[in-house]
Amino acid sequence: MLYETLVLLRREVVKWVNRRPVLVISIVTPLFWILLFGKSFNLLRLISLEAPPFPAPLAEAFQRYVSSLLVELFGTLDYFTYVTSGILVVFALFQSMFSGVSVVFDKRLGYLTRLLVAPIPRGSIFLAKVGGTLFRVTVLSAVLLLIADMAGFRFKEGISIIDLLGAWIVVLLVASGFTSIFSSIAFHINNQEVLFALANLVNLPLMFTSSAIFPVEQMPEWLRSIAVLNPLTYAADLTRYFLVGKEIGDPITGLAVLLVFASASLLAGYHVSVKGMEKD
Amino acid sequence: MESHAIVADRLVKTYGNLVAVSDVSFSIGRGETFALLGPNGAGKTTTIKMLSTLTKPSSGDALVGGYSVVREPLKVRRLIGLVPQDLTADDEMTGWENVLVSARLYGIRGKKAEEEAKRVLELLGLWEHRDRRVATYSGGMRRKLEIAMSLVHSPEILFLDEPTLGLDVQSRRHLWDYVFMLKRQGVTIMLTTHYMEEAEHLSDRVAIIDHGRIVAEGAPEELKSRIRGDRIHVELADPREADKVVSALNELLGPSSVEPASGGQVVVISVQEASSVLPDIIRALTGYRVKSVNVVKPNLEEVFLELTGRSLREESMDPARFRLHLRRLR
Repeated sequence: MLYETLVLLRREVVKWVNRRPVLVISIVTPLFWILLFGKSFNLLRLISLEAPPFPAPLAEAFQRYVSSLLVELFGTLDYFTYVTSGILVVFALFQSMFSGVSVVFDKRLGYLTRLLVAPIPRGSIFLAKVGGTLFRVTVLSAVLLLIADMAGFRFKEGISIIDLLGAWIVVLLVASGFTSIFSSIAFHINNQEVLFALANLVNLPLMFTSSAIFPVEQMPEWLRSIAVLNPLTYAADLTRYFLVGKEIGDPITGLAVLLVFASASLLAGYHVSVKGMEKD
Repeated sequence: MESHAIVADRLVKTYGNLVAVSDVSFSIGRGETFALLGPNGAGKTTTIKMLSTLTKPSSGDALVGGYSVVREPLKVRRLIGLVPQDLTADDEMTGWENVLVSARLYGIRGKKAEEEAKRVLELLGLWEHRDRRVATYSGGMRRKLEIAMSLVHSPEILFLDEPTLGLDVQSRRHLWDYVFMLKRQGVTIMLTTHYMEEAEHLSDRVAIIDHGRIVAEGAPEELKSRIRGDRIHVELADPREADKVVSALNELLGPSSVEPASGGQVVVISVQEASSVLPDIIRALTGYRVKSVNVVKPNLEEVFLELTGRSLREESMDPARFRLHLRRLR
């Protein structure tokens, strides 16, 4: 099983690297997001008091107060740092969707037939898709953080390799979970449009009902109760905890939720996918 | 040792209400080349899919290399190679990468995988194109690559589903040569085709399939010998005249030797010796709008026509079958 998965995973990687334009676009897209999104909402601008309408000591106190509010809310003073740490998990979601699309294309272009007639465990076809996403997400996240760093991302003081590994694992858990979901659907359909429509339906809501681009604490009550069910909320909070140092109370709960989400999706996705392959 | 490479036992496949294959049985000896001949939508591809474990029979079973396709599909897969009707290579990768992945999926590792990949690419004349992306290959080259990918693990049994569909005459000849070469190496080959020349030329035995049933089976010569004498095809400009033409000819030649086919477009006359009766026939046809009169020596096309009343080349199928066919093509 492992050997076959690796053979197929290698194909996923070769294909991704071969597609230069796609590779460039997949790196540029998140950059656009963090640079345009992150830099346009400049929170510090709100509290920079060039000509305060009240006495200086009062103004300074006010500034300190608002700053502390912002830090409490976002865990950071600039929105760029906030949104970049959240976008990492959103892009894991997007890459997962692409994985599903590639399943449909393997089907339509006949490649899947070739795999199904080969003496390999069907599960390895599914696992290779998950592995492919994990690889892509790892490369893209590293590139994203590198460029974010140059653009002024504020890593937490004294960030260690453990923190980076922690954030990486969070991103991998998100990618495994969502790739399992999208791929298992893809193994049952013949038309990529269905998948695109589905992704459009769920991707934006998933993103906006999470803490990826805005703090849950600021949401109305009903939205907050949805956000608590959204794996992206836990994931975004955790990447922020590891990379920026935002206080989230108890990181273990978040990790446990993600671990359960990823393993349940993997297990279900595995069986549903294999069933899809056996279908006429 | 089991003397048969493939034994199909009452295979049935239904899709909803549609019966794609109904009660098909046959056996293929080791080293034999066997053709399933029939029009589009007759159930050829579905039969191959069941034998190659891509789809489970609705009922019945088949032994391929001694293993049941229903109970031991993984063992069957190790022994067989399949060249499906659709192209299956990944066109974003090179020919070399495609063949190498195939080799590894069959458990061939390391240097050995590269040696085997080289062997089949050379065999099919693709070695110098190995580093090109498959998207840049011509249709003939892509077909050859499909065969290379299916041969890299040296299968005992090879399935070819419409191997020459859409190929030009020259590529088709080349492909036939490869089939002969594999046959000489002792590979059991099962192919499907709707070209009767192909079935006649390549195979030791032919089964004629129509509407999911096998209507005749035997060596090409054997099947042809079922047709005695000659056949004369009278092609009519107006199918509505068929009845009148048939009765006129019946009067001349006696009953039951004249039959309309292809919905009245053709009237088929069976005679002992065409040359002696042809002048009379031509005389009897005066007054009818006749497109052509052909004397046909017995071939598998004739056998098919005789058995089913339809021509192999007729592309018409009922809508449900046509949809199924489209679905398979996707």
